Amino acid sequence: MLQELVQTTLDKKIAEFHAHEINLFDFGRESVAAAHNERLKKAIDNAVVRNDRGRQLKLLELPDSNKVRELAGAIKQHTLDHLDYYLTQLAENVEKRGGHVHFASDGEHAKKIILDIVRRSGTRRIIKSKSMVSEEIELAHVMEAAGLDVVETDLGEFIVQIDHDKPSHIVTPIIHKDKASIARLFSEYFGTPYNDDPESLTRQAREYLRDKFRKADLGMTGGNFLVAETGDVITVENEGNARQSITTPRILISLVGIEKVIPRLTDLSVMLKLLARSATGQTMTIYSSIFGGTRKAGEKDGPEEFHLVLMDNGRTEILKNPEYREMLRCIRCGACLNACPIYRKIGGHSYGSVYPGPIGALITPMMRGLEKNKDLPNASTLCGACYDACPVKINIPRHLINLRRDIVRQHISHPVERFIYRAYAFMMSTPGRYKLASWMQKRSLRLIRTRDGFVRKLPFPGSGWTQVRDIPAPAAKSFREIWRTRK
Amino acid sequence: MQDENGVIEKVRKALGRTPGQKPSLPPVLDEPNVRLVLSDIGLPALFEKRALENKIGVTSLRVESLHEHLIGYLRSKGVRSVAIPRSRFLDRLEIRRALQDAGFIVKVWGEMTLDEVYDVDASVTDVWRVVAETGSLVVRASPDHGRSLSLVPPLHVAIVEPKNCVGDLIDLFELASSQEDTSAMVIISGPSKTADIEMNLVTGVHGPGVVQVFLLK
Repeated sequence: MLQELVQTTLDKKIAEFHAHEINLFDFGRESVAAAHNERLKKAIDNAVVRNDRGRQLKLLELPDSNKVRELAGAIKQHTLDHLDYYLTQLAENVEKRGGHVHFASDGEHAKKIILDIVRRSGTRRIIKSKSMVSEEIELAHVMEAAGLDVVETDLGEFIVQIDHDKPSHIVTPIIHKDKASIARLFSEYFGTPYNDDPESLTRQAREYLRDKFRKADLGMTGGNFLVAETGDVITVENEGNARQSITTPRILISLVGIEKVIPRLTDLSVMLKLLARSATGQTMTIYSSIFGGTRKAGEKDGPEEFHLVLMDNGRTEILKNPEYREMLRCIRCGACLNACPIYRKIGGHSYGSVYPGPIGALITPMMRGLEKNKDLPNASTLCGACYDACPVKINIPRHLINLRRDIVRQHISHPVERFIYRAYAFMMSTPGRYKLASWMQKRSLRLIRTRDGFVRKLPFPGSGWTQVRDIPAPAAKSFREIWRTRK
Repeated sequence: MQDENGVIEKVRKALGRTPGQKPSLPPVLDEPNVRLVLSDIGLPALFEKRALENKIGVTSLRVESLHEHLIGYLRSKGVRSVAIPRSRFLDRLEIRRALQDAGFIVKVWGEMTLDEVYDVDASVTDVWRVVAETGSLVVRASPDHGRSLSLVPPLHVAIVEPKNCVGDLIDLFELASSQEDTSAMVIISGPSKTADIEMNLVTGVHGPGVVQVFLLK
């Protein structure tokens, strides 16, 4: 009875969430609004540009960072190309060490598996460390809706949770927030006087969360890597909250995407040399935890029960396509976000997905459908900064172009756009039509030019284009006409 | 293994592979490009330099003066209670006796509960290895050495011998691969920190805010 009740509230909440999500997602409106938000731009510039610079500086420590990135890409590509083999090997090794392995086909399945574990064990106090894959399926919301006491323990994610907000960056989740808004939030949430000193705010969260750690009976983590040959899960972090999840609670659940596998423990030396450098410009994150299975006989902390939930949720769709498979190499460092001139202008929320920025513009349409997310592959200038930054050498600009190609081939682009391109192709296909078209264009544009020789406002469908651009009006004589008179 | 929806089968189909088909060997680690520490000479000095860059305090000293420095250091931090692992190395250095004689409350892992770790002021531990390349401490969980010891107390003091030093992360993982597995190994590269609020660096978030190494000569 109780479980049914929980399930109904849960379903309602999930439905509400998805409805809200779809309404929210209007890339055009969101990005224009964000681009005019000066405070947001300043905040993003402060964090993102600094991390981008830090990355470039730190990579200089490697003798030839390009070669190391190629190797990291090759290791991940090799694993993806043989993923069924490595997943089987991983699962066997986790079980040898006393852990349970569950494969989840999608987000709903993963949530069901996790809620079942929680219910069966009778645990109530859950500490959850930051993980992108749990954001992907809105796990914390679902657990809250199921009446569980679940707390996000990464400082940024904790702030996101109590503010009912969403993270805007995959590494630094609250770069869109300033300290004043966090101070107001804490003052309201804890009922304490306003204090916007970052040190005091952090202390306040520490005290609150420390008590949660101490009493927690179930811990949750994601995983940055999974080692097939040993069955280890690897989490990297700076705060120590993921370590808390794997230390204090009696039960541990790690929810990880199936693409996170690497073959050998020694492969970590390549990955760890790149990950922190690319993400935050650090040599290493403060804590790299390599853990597997349950605590051993005689150990007095660590989990007595360990569950590894490996989730597909659209990843096999990407795997299927050899052209796009390398998208799954991504190690979620956020370097492409930091390097991207578009992300820097509009921030993460505009992308309407937990995976923003260039990599998000690839994997969101792949995992959630191209038609619903067709604005995303176009949200790029194709400048290539993301490819230069990527530690596993995903050719992001090429895939963005290929997705644009798919949009055209699948006839899901905007009808006006399709009409314009078709008309364009028709007019360009013979010299006579070209001549006529350029004459018409010249005449009409010169007609509406301003006195200083610019066209500032086009009628529909060109109005959107001139909203943010001016075009110089065409010259009185075209090149062809001048050429002819010269002869 | 629970795979009722056949995820592995779906993966195999997506890749067009047949069951049981073994992969070729994974790419060879290209050591000239990956390895950053090329020699075994001077590892303790390199570790010290890198650890300091990571804001880990390092005091190099002779073993004879360890007690005096350790006690002085803990007192200067206002420490009254200390948790230590069960460790032959620490026993040989007579850490427990020295700290007790100096008036500290000493609790030994194995004779204390996990909950009690939340109430001590500091931990004094040995390490499994340290990594010179990254200036990191490496600890491994065991019945003698709880995971919480280097995590929960606000101050972590580690006593390191020169022979604990490995050069490169490559060396660390090769060594770890060759040994029997441990349930958890943590590479610690500084005091716990965050920069979530407007990129302001704050130390001591959920792990120790201060990490201090006594490096024996």
